[in-house]
Amino acid sequence: MASNKKVLLKVIILGDSSVGKTSLMNQYVNRKFSNQYKATIGADFLTKEVTIDDRTVTMQIWDTAGQERFQSLGVAFYRGADCCVLVFDVTAPNTFKSLDSWRDEFLIQAAPREPDNFPFVLLGNKVDLEPRAISAKRAQQWCQAKNNMPYFETSAKEGLNVEQAFLAIAKNALAQQNQSVDLYNEFPDQIKLTNTQKSNGGGDSCAC
Amino acid sequence: MSNISEWSQSAEYLSFRSNVPLRRIVVDSDDSKGWRIYDCGPKSVQSPLVCLPPVSGTADIFFRQALALSARGVRVILAEAPPYWSTKEWCDGFRRLLDYLNLSRVHLFGASLGGYLAQKFAEYTCSCPRVASISLCNSFSDTSIFRGNESAALYWMLPALVLKKMLMSNFEPEPAKDSDTVKTIDFMVEKLDSLTQSELASRLTLNCIRGYVEAHKLRDLPVTIIDVFNGAPLSSPVREELYKCYPQAKLAHLKTGGYFPFLSRSAEVNLHLLIHLRQFDNTPLASSEKPLINNSLPDS
Repeated sequence: MASNKKVLLKVIILGDSSVGKTSLMNQYVNRKFSNQYKATIGADFLTKEVTIDDRTVTMQIWDTAGQERFQSLGVAFYRGADCCVLVFDVTAPNTFKSLDSWRDEFLIQAAPREPDNFPFVLLGNKVDLEPRAISAKRAQQWCQAKNNMPYFETSAKEGLNVEQAFLAIAKNALAQQNQSVDLYNEFPDQIKLTNTQKSNGGGDSCAC
Repeated sequence: MSNISEWSQSAEYLSFRSNVPLRRIVVDSDDSKGWRIYDCGPKSVQSPLVCLPPVSGTADIFFRQALALSARGVRVILAEAPPYWSTKEWCDGFRRLLDYLNLSRVHLFGASLGGYLAQKFAEYTCSCPRVASISLCNSFSDTSIFRGNESAALYWMLPALVLKKMLMSNFEPEPAKDSDTVKTIDFMVEKLDSLTQSELASRLTLNCIRGYVEAHKLRDLPVTIIDVFNGAPLSSPVREELYKCYPQAKLAHLKTGGYFPFLSRSAEVNLHLLIHLRQFDNTPLASSEKPLINNSLPDS
């Protein structure tokens, strides 16, 4: 991949409802937080441009409805994902228990070429709240068993660690994209159908 | 190019053609000029999604949007204009078409030239809005980005073969890498071949003659910009120019998909169209009979 090529990273956030997926995304992209809970419907996305190691990277962050679980969101939604972010609420043990099934759900739906090496990042959200039900140690143990998945403790409300977490997400996604072949590249050797040589004068070619 | 492309023979395309009639609607005094229309989905919907093709396409190139979105209750109209030689003439014609179809406000989805005309029409009707929202696919807001502004005035007299060659030489920004893009190009070449000289020449004229969209008049319009990030027909400065025109726009980038992602990446494009359209659920501008929201998302 040429280094001057602009990069688009597709990131998918999964986790039970009300763990703060939408809030994390909004805090990261818009630096806004609202205490009011509004269920996400289906799926939605936001884009944010970031610079990583001198490269301009556009992140397309997809947020899902937690209720959407096991209900097919469709291949278009998962297609071409570069990183999957799993979120749980550190005060709600059930949301931690669901992590395995969310991870499985992603691997089944997205069907990445190398499931063992696909980048996941775990976020334990709502660390501003008490009482805590899942300790950092317990979360880290789970991550170790999952190929050393990076773990961040965040608070979308206070903006704590959110920036750092998404930076790690972007770096992991970027690393994944650099080593994997294009999902759609079914013909590794280029086949030219026509011998059209792009005659590049000034400006863009005529739109078809 | 007499051989029939794989998609023209596909069950999907044949099902579209056998279920949705092609209508020819004359709205000009010259009755040799007719709009070609496919109208599918519930007719009770007053604000349908109207799809406008790029230079080389016929209306039916949006069959994958028509099938998938109408299955979810969206009324989808595929519209192809007769030869018009200026954007003003095109806008007048399109307004008469909407009047004829009894549609006061519509959602426009335009690919390339279709997207440019969608914006021009929104600008043209901004004092008395006929456009509820716009989705653009690999489109632009200023024709000065194209080579050929100077020669555009002469396109009317060039033979069809020359015009086709002009277009075909630009079909592939880079060699197609996947079978869907290959099939898309085969299909589009076939469609291009079916166009007459005046259809092609007029569209190329609209595409290349100097003009731009006064986007500041459209600041309140909901816009989604769908574009292909890499290997796209338009360079990134051109795409960024379009983003600047519509700071309110939702940016729906696709990683790949070439010139015609509405065919080659139809599932992703349809997903973005659904996300765009569902903001109008339960409003007078809804594009579907039932709210799109409870329907979850498409399966493929």
